[in-house]
Parts: sequence; C-alpha cells; structure tokens
Amino acid sequence: MVQRHEHDDPREGLSLNVDFTLSDDQQLLRDTARALLDKECPPSLVRAYQDDVSAADRLWEHLLEWTELGRGPLVDLCLFLEEAGAVLAPGPFFATSVLWDGLGLDGIGTVAFIDDVTMPYTIDADLVDQIAVVVPDGAVVIDRSRLTLNPVQTLDWTRHLVEVSGSGDFDPPRPFDEEALRERAYVAIAAELLGTARSLLERTIAYATERHQFDRPIGSFQAIQHKIADMALVYEEAWSAVYYAAMCIDAGDDDRHRAAHVAKIMAGAAATRAAKDGIQVHGGIGYTWEHDLHLYIRRAYQSEHLFGTSDWHRDRLAELIL
Amino acid sequence: MRLAWGPEEEAFRAELVDFLDRHAPKRALGLDFATSEEEGIPEWSRQWQATLFDHGWLVPGYPPELGGRNATPVQTLIFQEEMAARGLPRSLHFPGWAIVAPSLLEFGTEAQKALAPASLRGDMVWCIGMSEPDAGSDLASLKTRAVLDGDHFVVNGQKVWTSYAMWSQKCFCYTRTNPDVPKHKGITVLIIDMDTPGIDIRPLRQITGTTHFAEVFFSDVVVPRENVVGEIDAGWRITMGSLAHERGGLWLQTVSGVDHALTDLVGLAKRTGADGNQAVRRRLADAYAQVSALRALGYKGFSSFAQGSSAPEHSYLKLATSELQKSLFELGMELEGPAGIVVDPAHHEGAGRLAFSFFTSFASTIAGGTSEIQRNIIAERVLGLPRGK
Repeated sequence: MVQRHEHDDPREGLSLNVDFTLSDDQQLLRDTARALLDKECPPSLVRAYQDDVSAADRLWEHLLEWTELGRGPLVDLCLFLEEAGAVLAPGPFFATSVLWDGLGLDGIGTVAFIDDVTMPYTIDADLVDQIAVVVPDGAVVIDRSRLTLNPVQTLDWTRHLVEVSGSGDFDPPRPFDEEALRERAYVAIAAELLGTARSLLERTIAYATERHQFDRPIGSFQAIQHKIADMALVYEEAWSAVYYAAMCIDAGDDDRHRAAHVAKIMAGAAATRAAKDGIQVHGGIGYTWEHDLHLYIRRAYQSEHLFGTSDWHRDRLAELIL
Repeated sequence: MRLAWGPEEEAFRAELVDFLDRHAPKRALGLDFATSEEEGIPEWSRQWQATLFDHGWLVPGYPPELGGRNATPVQTLIFQEEMAARGLPRSLHFPGWAIVAPSLLEFGTEAQKALAPASLRGDMVWCIGMSEPDAGSDLASLKTRAVLDGDHFVVNGQKVWTSYAMWSQKCFCYTRTNPDVPKHKGITVLIIDMDTPGIDIRPLRQITGTTHFAEVFFSDVVVPRENVVGEIDAGWRITMGSLAHERGGLWLQTVSGVDHALTDLVGLAKRTGADGNQAVRRRLADAYAQVSALRALGYKGFSSFAQGSSAPEHSYLKLATSELQKSLFELGMELEGPAGIVVDPAHHEGAGRLAFSFFTSFASTIAGGTSEIQRNIIAERVLGLPRGK
C-alpha cells in the first residue's frame, strides 16, 4: 500500500490517489500472521487465559519476535494487529509494539497515561518489565517493580487494564511526540477491531448458512441477509478507513489527524455492529457461555471504549472539520 | 500492480483541466445528483455533450471517432476525479451515451453500431424501456409483448418511469418475445422509433414537481425485425451500464456529490449557529467519517478493478452513498429549521433548494437497484449466503 502526493490538489480532500493493493511482502506478512495465529491462538487458549495467564506463554514466545513490526511502517503493523484481533490474542503485544515501540524504547513495556479521560487504565502493565508514564514534559520510564499496580477486572480479560500509581525519584522525562503516539494508538486499536469484526462476521455467515429453521437455512431469509449485508458494509468502510489512516501516518500527510479519528470511529462501529447483530443472528446459542461468540463481543466493546469512545472521537473530529 | 501518477498521467490531467477551464458551462458546475430543475434537455447541456465528444472527452476510454482518446483506466479515473470534483455532469441526459451506445457497440449489428456516435454526441436522444407497472425490482417479469409476424414485430404493452421519453427519438425497449420459457430467457431488446404510430407518451410529474419521465403505452406498434439488438430471446444479457472500462470510478461522482453536500451542511451549520450544538456536531462528524471511509473504499475498489479483479466494493458503495445522501439532506432540512420548508425562491436566497435535493434523493435508494436489492446482491453474490426463494 502506498500513498502518493505528486498531485497537489487545492480542493482539499477530493483527491486521494491511493493504491490499496497489498505488496507481495505485505501479502506474505498477512498470510504468515494468519496461519501462525490461527494455530497458536485457538479459542480454548483465550478461555484458559481468564484464570491462568501462563496459558499464553507459548503464544507470547511467537509474538515477541513480531514486536519488531512496531519499528516499521504502521500499515504493516496494522496488518498483523488485524490478525491478532481476529483471534483475540492475549498478552502485551499491543502494549509493546504500538505504545512502547512508538516511543522508540527497547524491551517489553507499556505506556501509562495519567488522569486521561480516554485512557484511565494502563494496558497490560502487569505483564511488562517497564512502564513509560506520560507527564507534561514527556514520558518517565520506570521499572514495573517500583510502581503500585491495581488490576481492574473488565469486560474483556484478554487485555489487562491496570491502574498504576507510585512516587519516588525517577529519571527525568524523555520528550516525545504525544499527539503522534495517540494517533498511532487510535489507528492500531482500530486495526485490531477490524480483525475482531471480521471474525464475528465470518462466524455469523457460517452460522446463518448451516442453521436451518422452517426447513431452510436462516441465511436465505431476507431479514437475516440484510442484517448481514449491513454488517459487511460497515466492515468494508472501516477496513478502507483504517488503512487509509495508517498510510497517512506513514506518509506524514496532513489528513492523518482527521483520518485517525475516522478510523477509530468506523472500526468501533464495524465491531460493535458485528457484535450485536452477530449475536442476534445466532439466537439463543450465542447467549451461552459455552459458545465462543461472547469472547469476541467482549473484545469489541472493550476496545471501542479504549483510547476514546466513538463519541469522544466524533467531538474531536468535529473540531477539525467545523 | 501499482497506480503511479507519472508525468504522463499528470500531463493528461493538465490537458483536461485546461479544457474544463475553457469550456465547462458555469451553470453545469455543482450538478452532482442530476438535480437540475430544468425540464427537457436544455440547449447548454446539448452543446456541452457535443463539445466533450468533439474534443475527445466524452468517454475518454473510447477511440476519437466515438468521442474519446483511448485513455487508460488510470487516465479515465483522473477524468472522473476532475469531473466529480467540479460536480460536472457530462450531460443532463444519460441513457444515450452511458447505456445505449455502449450496448449497441457490444451487441448491435453493423447498422446499429453506426448509431453509436450520434447517440454519444447527444444528437440522437434515447429513452430506455425497462420498468413496467408490474416489473420493477423483478425486471425480468416484464410483460410488454412483441410478436414476430414475418419481417416485423407487433408490440403491445406499457412501460413506466421511462426517463426523457417525451424528448427521445428512439427507445431501447425490453420486450417479452417468449412467454413459455423461464422469464429471463424470453426477453428481446428492440429499437423502437418513438414516432411510430401506436405509441402514447404520458409524462409523469415527480414528487419534486418536475417532469423527467413518463408512462409509455404501445398499441400494435410495428417494429422491423432488423431492429432486434443481439439475439431474439437473449435480451437479458444486454445489461445496464455497459461502460465497462469506466466502472472502476463510477462511484466518484456519487461520493463526491455526498462530499459536496456535507461541505454545504457544514456551511449551513455555521451560518445558523447549529455548529454549537453537540448533537449536530457529532452527526456532522459521523457523516464526515462515512464520506471519508466511502472515498477510501472507492479507491480500494479501483485498486482491484485496475488489476482486473472483480470489485464487490461497488455494490457497497451504491448502497452506502445513496442512503447517506438521503440522511444528509434530511439533516440539512433539520438544520434549516422553519426556513427549510419555504419553497418560494422569492422569500429568501436559496429557499427550497435543500428541500428539492432532499426530495430528489428519495430516488437514489430506488433507481438503479433499490437498497434492498443491493443488500440481496451483497448477501448472496458477495458474501455467499444461501439463495432466498
């Protein structure tokens, strides 16, 4: 995927000139990620992780190698995150590759935003070695052991949310581009949400095809078809919006500020639509703990609430367009 | 494949922009949704269509003798971008150049192909006889009967929603020639001269108050056998919208139209002070998010199209842009408040304009395949859900 700027169009926003075709390397990255994650992160692992974090140890050995993507183009990282979101991969991959690597730091870490309405918790703080605490002049890097961690039980146990506090003599803050880190996080979590939305959509299509009532597959009823078509529409819109935003960030394009909000809004809409319409199509079976559907629904709604709810992003976007 | 806007493409764009700056009629700018309130085919529109044809800009992908310049897919996309950015239609009258001419070139006899240049240039005006009172979304159930009698057909029946019928010289007419086979297999396309005895055209006034289409009644209308397009009983394959090389960018016009509508709404919100209302701000932001996503989706579709892959994005785009268009104009009406219901242009500047656009937009989710039909297509053909009964 590449974006070009040879044409300076004075009519703002009317010319994108974007090629969404995946390069051979990007295609390979996506295929490899999908095969790896399908194999290493089945729903049984996601379930086991609720009570036993070590269930994901082997998965983390694999994912650790891929955290390097956090140093490269955001488009490539998003391709991987999409696949991680599709299998609800638990562990500190997002915290490390998106946030920690976003600060250009080595090792395994996460970033703590303090008194922040969009991010009152620190992602997977209990699973990393170091935490970069955002303060007015930058970020202070602190060993996890020197901070007090208070894990908060939330809807989706695959991503640990932790309240972090502490005081003492720490290193001076390292300056960084906070706006850039935030926008990177909006787009990255949106890419994950795409994967979760896709899994919900695929499972719903499969169920509507195999489930028969009134002697017909329920997917042949228009009421079901139209619901699923609308789920697919929002997903397609979101996919394009997310990768457009990632390309804008990679290119340093001025449109990146708006595009990052659009990506989070659209991906949140795609995932929550897929969640609530997906369970509706599944009927009673989707309402059980035994069925895997709720694992995806938990992730969809939790991530929609992280790094700013959809309405929070609408308010920011309104400031940029009005 | 990669799209690359190289120097050749930029030279192409520069030449086009220069042409548009010099020739594009001022009154055509901003007519995104064929929202003209003018009836008939205005002279400026005829001249503009002919000018485009004569300069090789009507259908750039065609050769010069057909009003083009053998443009590549990327060049065609650039053309569509520039036209859409200006809200510039090629003509107010689309059936001839956009549908009939491409169909004649693909399926017609040599004599029928010879009609293409005049149809493209707008010198020959066409209507398309498709919908009937009992054949709308279920088009293949059409009943207008054509019976072969020696060297001619005798046609009886009725068409409806026939755009521009009263100003057309010819009708590209879908008829039933065999009632004893499955419905898709007994349809034949006939070229019918509109001045043939037995044709009765009754203009239909639309909810906007303007009159663009008509009911057309056929009573024992005699049509020469050589006016069959393609094969007898094989008319169903002569499909709509045959400008195959333009399909990759057809969405640009509607997405840009929605984009322009949103820009107008933002201006309206600022003028009325509604931009201070958080609910309005969120709705405008949401609309902006959707327009941006649709534009990105369109380019994603073009990326597939340019590689020769099928691009299901276009079904999504038709559904989403038409629905969004309707909701945007509805929001605009709301923002205007009590002024929004005034349609007397003497009352205040721009009175009735949004209401007209809003009413016009009701057609967008019906014409060219209703939103419900689009969802059926997406469900069954794109997503592979089991077919309904």
